[in-house]
Order: sequence, then C-alpha cells, then structure tokens
Amino acid sequence: MPSCKDITEHSSDYLDHNLPWWKRMGYWLHLAMCVHCRRYLDQLKLTIDTIGKSPDATTPNVSPEEIQAIVEKMKQSTKKQE
Amino acid sequence: MAHPTLPSDDELIPRLLANDETSYAQVVAAYHGLMVHLARAIVGEAIADEVAQEAWVAVLRALPKFERRSSLKTWILRIVSNTAKSRLRHESRTVSLDESLEESPIIDPARLKPNAHWASPPAMWHADTPDALLASAELRCCISDALATLPPLQRAAVTLRDMQGLSMEAICKILEVSESNGRVLLHRARSRIQMAIEEHEGQ
Repeated sequence: MPSCKDITEHSSDYLDHNLPWWKRMGYWLHLAMCVHCRRYLDQLKLTIDTIGKSPDATTPNVSPEEIQAIVEKMKQSTKKQE
Repeated sequence: MAHPTLPSDDELIPRLLANDETSYAQVVAAYHGLMVHLARAIVGEAIADEVAQEAWVAVLRALPKFERRSSLKTWILRIVSNTAKSRLRHESRTVSLDESLEESPIIDPARLKPNAHWASPPAMWHADTPDALLASAELRCCISDALATLPPLQRAAVTLRDMQGLSMEAICKILEVSESNGRVLLHRARSRIQMAIEEHEGQ
C-alpha cells in the first residue's frame, strides 16, 4: 500500500485519472484509512479549481485595433517573403 | 480542439496559405489572447505581447511546411512556446527543464515521519470553495506571487491545463516534453500553489 508521501507525489495523476488500476486500488485503500491524505487530496482539488478561477486565469483581451495591427504585420511579412 | 468561431483546420489552412486577410483576422481573434497568456507564463508580462506577435510571423513562414500531426491551434502554440523559450535564452535567463523538473520533494520532509506517513498533516482551511478562497485579496495576491515564482515551464503547464483546459497530450506537444515530464511539471506547479494557500490559511 502507498505511504502518505507516495500519495502526495502522484496525487495529480490520481485526480486526473492517469494512474494504472493497480495503483488506483492502492490509493483507494490508503484513502479509506487516512483522513490526512483525504484532506490533502481535497485541498489539491480545491487548489486546482481555485487556480482556474483566479484573476491570473483570465485570457488577455485583444481589441479589434490590435487584431488589425497584427493582421497588417502578417500581410507585410508575407509580402517580404514573395 | 479548434476554436468554436473558426472554420475547421481543413478549410482554414488553405485560406491562410492563400493570404486571405479575413482568415488572418479570424485566427488572430481566436488565438492571440491565448498566445499572449502562454507567452506571459514563459517570458513574463513585459514582453509577452511582443513574443506573440513575433510568433504570428513565424507561423506564416512555417505554415507551408505544417505536416498536420497536431491541430493548427496546438501547432501555433508550440511556435509561441519555442519563440518564448528562445527569447529567454537570448536574454541569458535560464529556461532550464532541469529546474522545472527539480528533484525536490513535493512535501517538506520535515512534515513526514521516517516511515513516510504524516507527522505534520495538512490543517483545515478556512474556506472550502474557490470563490470563498478568492474573496480574500491577500490570498489572491499570494496565489499570484506563487505563480510568478514558478519556473517558466511549470507556469506554462499550469496555465495551459488548469487555466485554459487544454489536454495533457496537447500540452506536451506545445512544450516539447515527454508525457511523464509534462505530468511532473503540472504536479509540481499545483503543489507549489497548494503550499502557498496552505501557508496563508494556516496563519
């Protein structure tokens, strides 16, 4: 059965469903008995959800003027290639 | 997956190759924000926009040789990642994969007993939802600071996965790392943020 250290080392793989079944079984057994690792995993899940909602997760806005300026640069670069 | 407002890659690529201005504008509108987000993760805010613009020129230059082994979006983001990494190298700043894949343990060994079980287990947090956590301006700053101090490739992995929702397969192609290294980058980044929240919540 995995130790608490093992649980912390591969917890993203567990949450992302990327562990082979036999490792997953070990996780289930450990988590059934270890309240600390259940809390650790709950907090990792909460961390992931929080990262996704944090202000840093917002995709930068692009204005129509910026789009036009980039398109102009792209046109110029293709002209240079010709 | 392609952007919902864009035609399929099969339709779009020939139009881009024919220098169709409307298609240029469509693809820039769909992907430029995401490109700046990725560039920001690797090179920082100050030059992220410049890197993304530079990447567009590189995209057009390389498009005739695009072999379609990935979606257009993944391929464009790989060019952004490479442009950003070259820029870091150019400025003599490290973009070391070794640093991003550092061997340091996820949990401070002092918190574990010799048998690798918890000696100092995680404490309860005051909040149990993202909104409740993010209601604290101090914690928002704390998360932002923790993100800013991550090694560039860890920051890129967490940006693409947990902020932009890309698949691990796409992320590994974009960052040019193996699947196992991609997973290590992501887990280390998440753990560092978790520790930052824990330090704040433990106060």
